[in-house]
Amino acid sequence: MSILQALAYFFREAAGGLRRGWKVSFLAVFTIAVSLFVGGVFLLTSGNLARALARWRAETRVVVYLRPGTPAAAVARLRGEAARGPAWVRGATAVSPAAARARFRSSFPGLADLLRGWGEEPLPATLEIELAREEALPAAEYEAWLAAWRARPEVEMVDDDREWLAQLEGVIAVLRGVGLALGGVLLAAAIFTIGSVIRLTAYLHHEEIAVLRLVGATEFFVRGPFYAEGLLQGLLGGAVALAALFAGWQVAQVEARGSLLATLLAERFLTPGQAAALLLLGGAAGLLGAVASLRRETLRGES
Amino acid sequence: MIQFFHVGRKYGDRVALHDLNFEIPRGQFVFLTGVSGAGKTTLLRLIFREEVPTSGQILVNGRNVASLPLRKVPYLRRTIGVVFQDFRLIGGKTVFENVAYLPRILGSDRETQKRLAYHALRRVGLAHRMNAFPPQLSGGEQQRVAIARALIADPELLIADEPTGNLDPDLSREILRLFLEVNLRGTTVIVATHDRDTIQRIGRRVVTLERGEVASDVELAGTEPPRLEPPSEEEDAGAEPLVPPP
Repeated sequence: MSILQALAYFFREAAGGLRRGWKVSFLAVFTIAVSLFVGGVFLLTSGNLARALARWRAETRVVVYLRPGTPAAAVARLRGEAARGPAWVRGATAVSPAAARARFRSSFPGLADLLRGWGEEPLPATLEIELAREEALPAAEYEAWLAAWRARPEVEMVDDDREWLAQLEGVIAVLRGVGLALGGVLLAAAIFTIGSVIRLTAYLHHEEIAVLRLVGATEFFVRGPFYAEGLLQGLLGGAVALAALFAGWQVAQVEARGSLLATLLAERFLTPGQAAALLLLGGAAGLLGAVASLRRETLRGES
Repeated sequence: MIQFFHVGRKYGDRVALHDLNFEIPRGQFVFLTGVSGAGKTTLLRLIFREEVPTSGQILVNGRNVASLPLRKVPYLRRTIGVVFQDFRLIGGKTVFENVAYLPRILGSDRETQKRLAYHALRRVGLAHRMNAFPPQLSGGEQQRVAIARALIADPELLIADEPTGNLDPDLSREILRLFLEVNLRGTTVIVATHDRDTIQRIGRRVVTLERGEVASDVELAGTEPPRLEPPSEEEDAGAEPLVPPP
């Protein structure tokens, strides 16, 4: 029997096995789908966060918050000084309190009511100073420049993007770690479940396995359909997880359209490569469960 | 065909077979008899390498099955047909599927599987029940299906372990007649049975085991040997070898 014939036979038998034992197979597919879904959620959100982080890093800036009541002429003068700064300063923009309020309303429509009822402009004027990419900043010179801005009497506070970007990077790393750990634990549980299902299936077929061995079937031929069944269960679980992820992503797109959260966490779906990897991971987990469950002693001793 | 050299088999301290030495030439029909526990089944299981002797050597067709690597065992078994008292048919599979296991694992296409199964079932008179399921058949018919499964590749050796143990006398006679016909075609046949009447009636070589040892090895003439017709050319049609000779 050629390899292709054998594979066709294995998958035919495996498909029949899935049909016949659909209830236990459903359990195996479900557990692997849950584990891959959880892993996929973490992959999706951390991927989108990482993309946002890279984008923000590319446009590193410093926001200088001026004291309330700073006259417009002083704001314009400070903007000019900022723009004439070191070579790695790309430009500076002054944002008036009114412009800041308008921006807040459009970015956080749900929080717009917070600004109502204030007698005067609640938000201070700011200077947004665009910088070269982070790696192009001379560290010591940059720190001295920041300190000089902080020391100015008109300045209330200086917000350096790099600080919170570093924190966000930490959050992403933690998110990935948690996703990896949680997904790994769930995947191990799924492998165990698939292994148990395959072992049960093998037990239910022990008479046929005995006959196969009696008439001269090789171990490869005897075990092949069970391996194929594990692989199919894993791939099915992966497909279900991907479908659920995609559906969840679509819902997030519709429900949270335009919000910062949606942009951060669900801007883009998994890349085709990531989706394929998730699917293959399911298949590999199923195959591993089947192989582990069919240790030699499991099927031996019957003939 | 089969040679036993000082073969022994122990299970812990219990001796199942002890220092067996005998030979079964190609084409012979042998009854293996003895009381329950005498070692008949163990001896048969050693031949098709379901068990390994704890001492001695067993040659089957020149191959030492005692030291045969596990990966080669399937190839040995493809040359041996085995029939059991409890038939060992799969209830959820049709008669055709039960009979066609060997051609299927060898990768034969479905038409070839059907042709070979039909041929094997015709030899046992059950070609018309190809699509039935074993539970729909009588005990005698089920045993004939098991024999068809064992014969589908025209094995060099047919082993039967108490094949008539679950059958009434008439059906037993019918099954033994089938074995004799198979033997007439040149297949070596070993039948383990404790039915002394059948052995006396049919005759042939009789090896008697007692407590794991050969107590006697004699040729019996038989009081009522059945009349057998040599196989016709029509019966042999389509019986090209499925398993190439070793």
